[in-house]
Amino acid sequence: MSFAFTPENQKKFEALLTKYPTKMAALLPTLWLAQNQNGHLSLEVQEHVASLLDLSPVHVHGVVTFYTMYKQKPSGKFHLQFCKTLSCGLCGSEDLIRHMKEKYKLEHGKVSEDGKFSMELVECLASCGTAPAMAVNEKYVEQLTVEKIDELMKKLSVA
Amino acid sequence: MTKVKITIDGHDLEVEQGTNLIEAARQLGKTIPHYCYHPGLPPDGNCRMCLVQVEKMPKPVIGCRTGATEGMVVHTQSDEVKKMRQSIMEFLLINHPLDCPTCDQAGECRLQDYYMDYDRIPSRYQEQKVHKDKMVDLGAGVMLDEERCIVCTRCVRVCQEVAKSEELFVQERGNHSMVATFPGKKMTNPYAGNTVDVCPVGALTSKDFRYKKRVWFLSAADSVCQGCSRGCNISVHHADNRVYRLKPRHNPEVNDYWMCDYGRIDYKFVNDGRRLKPHFKTDAGLQEDSYQNAFAHLQSVLQNYSADQITGIASAQESNEEINAFVDFIKSNFGSLPIYFSKNNPENPYEDDILIKADKNPNSAHIASKNLKPVSEISGGVKAVFVQRNLSAQDAQVLKDKGIQIVALFATNETNLDNLAEVILPIPTFAEQNGHFTNFEGKVQGFTKALKPRGESRLFAEHAEDIKALLSSIKKAS
Amino acid sequence: MTLVLTNRFKLKDSHTLAVYEENGGYKTIDKVFATNPDDIIEEVKQSGLRGRGGAGFPAGLKWSFIPKDPGKPKYVCVNADESEPGTFKDRYLLELDPHQLIEGIIICCYAIQSHDAYIYIRGEFDLPYRRIQAAVDEAYAKGYLGKNIFGKGYDLNIVVHRGAGAYICGEETALLESLEGKRGNPRVKPPFPATHGAFGCPTVINNVETISALPWIITNGAQNYRQWGTEKSPGTKMFSVSGHVNKPGVYEVPLGYPIKDMIQNECGGVGGTGRLKAVIPGGSSVPVLTAEEALDANLDYESLMEKGTFLGSGGIIVIDDSVDMLWALRNLGHFYSHESCGQCTPCREGTGWVSKILDRIYHEGGTQADLDLLNEIADNMSGKTICALADALAMPVRSYLKKFPEDFARHIKKTA
Ligand SMILES: Cc1cc2nc3c(=O)[nH]c(=O)nc-3n(C[C@H](O)[C@H](O)[C@H](O)COP(=O)(O)O)c2cc1C
Ligand code: SF4
Ligand code: SF4
Ligand code: SF4
Ligand code: FES
Repeated sequence: MSFAFTPENQKKFEALLTKYPTKMAALLPTLWLAQNQNGHLSLEVQEHVASLLDLSPVHVHGVVTFYTMYKQKPSGKFHLQFCKTLSCGLCGSEDLIRHMKEKYKLEHGKVSEDGKFSMELVECLASCGTAPAMAVNEKYVEQLTVEKIDELMKKLSVA
Repeated sequence: MTKVKITIDGHDLEVEQGTNLIEAARQLGKTIPHYCYHPGLPPDGNCRMCLVQVEKMPKPVIGCRTGATEGMVVHTQSDEVKKMRQSIMEFLLINHPLDCPTCDQAGECRLQDYYMDYDRIPSRYQEQKVHKDKMVDLGAGVMLDEERCIVCTRCVRVCQEVAKSEELFVQERGNHSMVATFPGKKMTNPYAGNTVDVCPVGALTSKDFRYKKRVWFLSAADSVCQGCSRGCNISVHHADNRVYRLKPRHNPEVNDYWMCDYGRIDYKFVNDGRRLKPHFKTDAGLQEDSYQNAFAHLQSVLQNYSADQITGIASAQESNEEINAFVDFIKSNFGSLPIYFSKNNPENPYEDDILIKADKNPNSAHIASKNLKPVSEISGGVKAVFVQRNLSAQDAQVLKDKGIQIVALFATNETNLDNLAEVILPIPTFAEQNGHFTNFEGKVQGFTKALKPRGESRLFAEHAEDIKALLSSIKKAS
Repeated sequence: MTLVLTNRFKLKDSHTLAVYEENGGYKTIDKVFATNPDDIIEEVKQSGLRGRGGAGFPAGLKWSFIPKDPGKPKYVCVNADESEPGTFKDRYLLELDPHQLIEGIIICCYAIQSHDAYIYIRGEFDLPYRRIQAAVDEAYAKGYLGKNIFGKGYDLNIVVHRGAGAYICGEETALLESLEGKRGNPRVKPPFPATHGAFGCPTVINNVETISALPWIITNGAQNYRQWGTEKSPGTKMFSVSGHVNKPGVYEVPLGYPIKDMIQNECGGVGGTGRLKAVIPGGSSVPVLTAEEALDANLDYESLMEKGTFLGSGGIIVIDDSVDMLWALRNLGHFYSHESCGQCTPCREGTGWVSKILDRIYHEGGTQADLDLLNEIADNMSGKTICALADALAMPVRSYLKKFPEDFARHIKKTA
């Protein structure tokens, strides 16, 4: 099945083109649009985006692999991005990450068997003042504790 | 253009304003070591090997992207600069596999060269190297060893700038960066071979050349590609009287630093499929034999024709010298009929507006200057011809249709005319002689002899001497 | 305390146009458009406002480098990539007072006569993105952006551009590359963005906080701004305080404010063990201060320079005495090697090498030679690269080794 934008996204895409003096500049937002629609940026999606913007597929691939938030493989329904940088580290993130592994068998780069959860260790989320922090999909969850994580995981497992 | 005075390591010189410091130093015969800079490509500035000191600048600057300005005082040999080079070398080598014994680049590798010049200290690296793929087929006969790549992006830029095709790009980031094609795709551009030439290390190798010869056994002869009428300047790399590869040679007026992939492999006929000895037709077919017997056969054939029934067909694939010798020979010994020419004339020849020309003959321009006629116009009076080098399929058909006999074919290789010619006399290829081609713009370009004429092949002039003798003995006898 | 940037943060719905306007928002507009653009630049110069993204370059001076009639568009790019570990102030400016930023952008654009601004916001910032985008939409709807803004005969477009996960895109030229749809590789300078910026055109790049200070400065005047701060560091600054303090968060204080007071008064004292060991004063890439140095230091550009470090982004990370500084450095080693764009040799190879050595020492113990090597790699990385990311790791390496030798000595294997 070949990828194409939904009519609504197609409109958004066309609007994007008017915002920049070059077509290439619309690449990052177009990739966001495609990822939001498709869940991840498969090679096919990357080629499609390239053709939409008159770019070479290899340029698009170079961009996709540069930025950590573009996903080439499907993530879990809930993608947990744990910050592992200094301030979160000072506030106990290592214990939480260990907890995720021991209790939920989740670790960096892993997707749970039921496809519900995936986990990624990320660099500083700019949540240092509310550390330790993670993002669940796009939403920040901060001042994490083991209890708070257990509660959240319970809620998400039935969601 | 404004000239500015600058000083490099105490030597004063005048250069055009804005000349980068690598080129400025070159004018003094000095090399500022570099990896990512290539004079034929837009500068990038990523390798940092060319860092030098410029007085009044707070930090070291990269030679490749620092333009000369009036009064600039540059130091390329200070202890600090040498220390920087050493550290860059160390950085480049920590993740490098150091498999020189099996690397094709060994002997022409800038890592090896500069290591000897600047580093020469045992590795202080004890950590795991980043492991990557050692055998990636990029397509177009180019292989990539990712572990050897120093991400200088020359190959990426050569595809963009020369081939005008974006097929290679840096992927991932940090120390996982590597050059790659789009997953599942291969390079298809006809200039891909240049990526191998510009790769300063052994990351890109040519499938055609891989493992065939250590480069230090090769010698080089200046030459000109005979693949098309562009006449790209090349070096013929050879050993044991065989050609191992062709490399482009810089000529800003013709091909800059580049050549196409068709031209690049257009040397195989020098090594293989050659006519190394005289042949002539017998009842049992084509027979390899001595010059003496071949000429005896030629004599018997020539006796069937009078001089005014015989002419010649010159070849646009031969040198100015060989064409002249051939035409002169025909004129002075036969001469009453027009002289003809033939060209290599493939169907739908590839061409582009980069280098590759549709005319696949290196010397059409010289042929054009000789006032010869195309074979398609050959007239009824012609009964027999001497043929230089080869004929196009169409031209061969014309001769067949008109029942014109090829009395002698002066050939480098086995061809489709083999059964039509009474006698085949071996001549050397471009790699075995000195000569000139005149390219499509009328530029006369010399090429030099790389190999001894192979087998018993001889230049046309030598054959002509013998044939002249033969003709006079026929005349005497009649 | 009423200061410059955070005054509206506590208001309900502070992010909305209505609340912004009720509380002094968009009041500079008439004044701005009645003023000669060069005079605006002059006013900003007079205020002494320095870039809050890290380098502290005077904002007015930067604007004055923009050619007057380049014969092509000029751009303003707002750096909202905020990714320097320990820094989280721009996030709140975007979330809680996005219109203040928009008003600042209008001022900046008018001053350099630009009609197009981009806000480059890091991809992870979801709520801040939605807030600033909503604010931009509101402003368009009200005629504050778009054609003939505020009926002043001036056109101005603002596009919010999301990044996608790359710290390096906070470096201004990497930001431009990323904006243009490329990998975020910093550019070789010169040429500088003032002449060759976005899409090859003259461009001003300023941090969110820098731009957000403009409405106040224009309303109240440069001299008023100078009521705070020091001669060389006028005004106020937002500091992000994290790590071992009892009340981490973002605090706006006058520049020159003592670190000691920041920790004691604003942040409720040292957290964790309660015993201070070290302070990173300006985001993770600046040299660290010992407790003693920190308690004696003020938060302004020049006093921190005197102490051998930088004000940077104002990300203050407070570290108690339970922390092994080798562990902390190793954490940063991972960060910088992961975030190196990989273009230039010393950074691509050096950050990875440092990080692997630190891993090995941390897990297996090391030797004195390893520590010497770390220092040497740091030297070999710094000042030789396309951008300052290599220095951003080299500085911590050298300062942690120098100031906390006992934490490294503890990991040295005792050999017979
Ligand atoms: C590696 C690196 C990362 C940077 N990250 C940021 C950032 O996240 N936000 C920011 O405003 N400036 C960042 N900067 C500084 C910018 O390059 C630039 O100086 C700044 O945006 C200019 O704005 P200002 O003068 O208002 O501070 C970074 C610089 C470097 C070298
Ligand atoms: S393959 Fe060679 S030319 Fe290409 S980036 Fe790597 S080292 Fe440079
Ligand atoms: S363009 Fe023509 S002359 Fe040049 S390398 Fe190719 S075939 Fe040879
Ligand atoms: S210093 Fe590092 S991040 Fe900066 S350009 Fe070089 S490799 Fe990229
Ligand atoms: S040759 Fe100058 S940086 Fe590579």
